[in-house]
Amino acid sequence: MRQAGTYSGILSGGGISGKTGPHLLPLARIKKIMKKSSVDVKMISGEAPLVFSKACELFIEELTKRSWNMTIQGKRRTLHKEDVASAVAATDVFDFLIDLVHPNAASHLDPNEDDSTIEKNL
Amino acid sequence: MGDDHDKLLPVANVGRIMKLILPPTAKISKEAKETVQECASEFLSFVTGEASDKCQKENRKTVNGDDICWALGSLGFDEYSQAIVRYLHKYRESEKERAAASFSSSATLVSNHIISPSELTSHVEKGESSHRNRL
Repeated sequence: MRQAGTYSGILSGGGISGKTGPHLLPLARIKKIMKKSSVDVKMISGEAPLVFSKACELFIEELTKRSWNMTIQGKRRTLHKEDVASAVAATDVFDFLIDLVHPNAASHLDPNEDDSTIEKNL
Repeated sequence: MGDDHDKLLPVANVGRIMKLILPPTAKISKEAKETVQECASEFLSFVTGEASDKCQKENRKTVNGDDICWALGSLGFDEYSQAIVRYLHKYRESEKERAAASFSSSATLVSNHIISPSELTSHVEKGESSHRNRL
C-alpha cells in the first residue's frame, strides 16, 4: 500500500479540511481544463486549482438551485436538461452558457443576418 | 472519446454536488447532470481565460488565486469572488502553519543534534518542492 504523501492530505481534505473543507472536484482535472482553455495559460500556481474547486462547487450549486426552481414551477420532481436551459436563459450572469444549452438559439443573433448565417452556426 | 473527457469535470463528482443541494426526494436526469457538467467545465474555461488575460496584460506568467478572484468579480460572479477571497485566506493561513510546523520540527532535529543546520535547509526545501511537484 502506498504511503500517504504531503499532497494526498490536501486531496483527501486531511491537511486543510479543518479550515477549508474537503474537495468535491479533482484538482488534477481542474488544472488540465485550465491549461486547455487557452494557449496563453502557461503556468498555474498551486492554489489556483484549489480556488477553482470551490468556485466550481458554488457555480454548480447555484445552477442546480435555479434549475430546480424551474422543475418545481413545472410541478415535477425530476430535474431535466430543459430546466437547466431555462435557468441559464433566466440568469444574466450565465449568458456565456446560452450557446452551450441552446445550440439553435436565435435570440442572440442579429435580426439582420440572413438564413445562410444561421445554417453556418449550426 | 477519452480526449473529450479530459476537458470536462467528472460527471459523478458534478452529480454529487447537485444532489447535496437538492431535497433528498429530488431526481436528476442523466442528461441534466451531463449538461451541468458541460456548463461547469465551460465556467472554468471562461474564468481562466479572463484571469489569464489579466496576467498577460501585467506581464506575469503564473495565474494565481488572486487572479481567479479578480476574474470572478470582473465577470459578474461577485458573491463567488467574496467567498473565494475568504477561502484563499484560510488556505494561505493553513499553508503558513504547515510550513512553520515543518520548520519547527526540523529545527528541533537540529537543536537535538540529529541533523546539522545545512541538512536542515535541504530538508525544508525538499518538503516544499515535493508539495509543488505534486501539482
